[in-house]
Amino acid sequence: MKFWEIGKRNLKEIYRNPVLLGFLLGMPVAFMLVFVAAAGGGQAGPIALSIADEDGSQKSSLFVQYLGIVGAIELNEPIYSEKSQAQEDLENGRISFYLFIPSGFEQAQQTQQTINLELVYMAADPMIGLQLKPMIEAAGSEFLGVAPLLNVELKGTESRIKNMAVNFYFPGIAVYGLMILISTAAGIIAGDREKGFLSRMFTTPARPWDFILGYSLPFIPVLIVSTLIYLGVGMALGLTIVGNLGYAFLIFFLIGLCAIGIGMIVGSLVKSESQAGVAWIFIVPMAMISGAWFTVDRMPSALKSVAGALPFIHGIDASRAVINGSPFSAIILDIYWLIGWAVVLFAVGIALFRRTMVS
Amino acid sequence: MNAVQTFKLTKEFDGLVAVNGIDLEIKKGELFSLLGPNGAGKTTTIRMLCCLLKPTRGTASILGYDVAKTPFAVKKLIGVSPQDTILSERLNCWENMALIGKVHGLSSNEVRKRSQELLETMGLMERAKDQVRKFSGGMKRRLSITMALVSDPQVLFLDEPTLGLDPQARRTIWEYIAGLKGKKTVLLTTHYMEEADFLSDRIGIIDEGRVVALGTSQELKTNLFGMRNMVVSTESLTAEVIADLHSKYSRVAVTKGQLKISHKDLDFKEIVNHLHSRGVTVYSAALEQPTLEDVFIEITGKKLRD
Ligand SMILES: Nc1ncnc2c1ncn2[C@@H]1O[C@H](COP(=O)(O)OP(=O)(O)O)[C@@H](O)[C@H]1O
Ligand SMILES: [Mg+2]
Repeated sequence: MKFWEIGKRNLKEIYRNPVLLGFLLGMPVAFMLVFVAAAGGGQAGPIALSIADEDGSQKSSLFVQYLGIVGAIELNEPIYSEKSQAQEDLENGRISFYLFIPSGFEQAQQTQQTINLELVYMAADPMIGLQLKPMIEAAGSEFLGVAPLLNVELKGTESRIKNMAVNFYFPGIAVYGLMILISTAAGIIAGDREKGFLSRMFTTPARPWDFILGYSLPFIPVLIVSTLIYLGVGMALGLTIVGNLGYAFLIFFLIGLCAIGIGMIVGSLVKSESQAGVAWIFIVPMAMISGAWFTVDRMPSALKSVAGALPFIHGIDASRAVINGSPFSAIILDIYWLIGWAVVLFAVGIALFRRTMVS
Repeated sequence: MNAVQTFKLTKEFDGLVAVNGIDLEIKKGELFSLLGPNGAGKTTTIRMLCCLLKPTRGTASILGYDVAKTPFAVKKLIGVSPQDTILSERLNCWENMALIGKVHGLSSNEVRKRSQELLETMGLMERAKDQVRKFSGGMKRRLSITMALVSDPQVLFLDEPTLGLDPQARRTIWEYIAGLKGKKTVLLTTHYMEEADFLSDRIGIIDEGRVVALGTSQELKTNLFGMRNMVVSTESLTAEVIADLHSKYSRVAVTKGQLKISHKDLDFKEIVNHLHSRGVTVYSAALEQPTLEDVFIEITGKKLRD
């Protein structure tokens, strides 16, 4: 239980230091407020059109393809075959709106009758519907020729999501906030190395894992509290978690563990607290390619695979999925990935730390 | 088996030879001092013996355990007070002691008992519950030494235990260390000759990474070199007389009204007669035992401290 003694010491050094404690716990709050204020009700994610095609005919799928060619419209995959599925996803905030093509589309076209489509959108965000309606009507007229008439009916629907922007940005902000633990954890190890405290401890029988666990331990309460703060402040600002809150917590916890693990590695590689600043060389690019700040849909595929190998994109994807109400089965792979990373990171941390115990 | 044994122990830092083939044998229960100026290689030697530095060449063992091959066996046996006072600043005395005690595998009860004893002896009990960042340098140093003892180590390393302390604080620490004599093996480093003189069973004089002399304080001062000092109170010393003395004796120092002559097997009578014959008035003359400083100067040609 040597790690426990080292952990207790580190915990005391942190929570008896009001400045450090204030930084660790105040940062999540400040972070959420600033990000939400900056993103404030702005466009949530890409404007992409989802389609529910109940007609399922050759004609209707050609029409869908045609819509995809229109410059201002981007199609969401996959195309729903039932309206109820699209409606459920809309209500849970997974999509913002969809175009419903009822069965009888092909027939109506052949018999030159008026075609009625529905553009269903989230009532909280009516602007998109108004923007899209004329575009779809124009595209429809081009596709179908002069007749028959195409009529797009706008239908607002209530969603459980209070604030799309908060829901979209939240996972990225929280994950980025937790990534800052990399620099804090590395800084504390490096500081103790610089002050000679580690040297003194290296004359005791404590082993490398005692140190790595001992330095990670105080960050566990910090991680738990900051995750709760992120979730709490997020909800106060309009975050709606449709899925299981516990899963969301689990994902953020695992992300935090990975961040602490990277912090242990950086802390084992650098010699002083100021050198621990190199942690940011990891944090910023990782945050960028993991989609913490903006969507990574259009990122080059090579970068995408790098991001996919790293833990953070899995945290962001999985937490977004939980927020949108996906079941546990949808995030299980991400969770395995995160656990695997945490194990590897800590093992590497211990190996690197061991090398610093004698020079 | 010796408590500390080294064989041609050497440490190089990028070509700089900090410790150069040191052979030491420290017996169990012995209080041994490494005396030498700054940069002599004392700390580097201690750091190798504590398994913090890998020897470049040579070997070292503590109670038979090789420091490079079995560091964790060594670490269980030793207590270390590093040259720089290193404490957990936001912990109080008890907590600092408990940290070291418990990583050495002591139970809470044992830690409490040992700490109580040690804090009382070192006069730290009154402030034992205060965070140590508020302590004076002397108190911190006393705690630092106390921490090295909490695990009741068989071999104790004290790297410059009284560095930069005022005389009173130094006295407290000396008394405590003297009290350990015979009970613990202690390897102490210092650049204060009085400290080495007062505390040690044996002294190794170290300079530029080598142990240049080894023995008890008495052996070093007398047997080994036969060097003696004579202090003469005089008047009317001429430059000519002084030059003459310089040519005859190893060291001659003149301060106001005082002449100090150091020489191997120095002959008291001969000097007094010589001075008389040159018309120098001698008020008083006395033989003085050489100090370790003299020994150091004799061997290295340098002063221990400037
Ligand atoms: N980590 C190091 N890297 C390079 N040189 C060092 C290092 N540690 C000590 N030295 C050098 O080794 C020599 C001996 O230092 P040290 O053992 O600290 O002497 P002392 O403790 O007797 O004052 C000095 O010249 C010092 O500059
Ligand atoms: Mg030193």
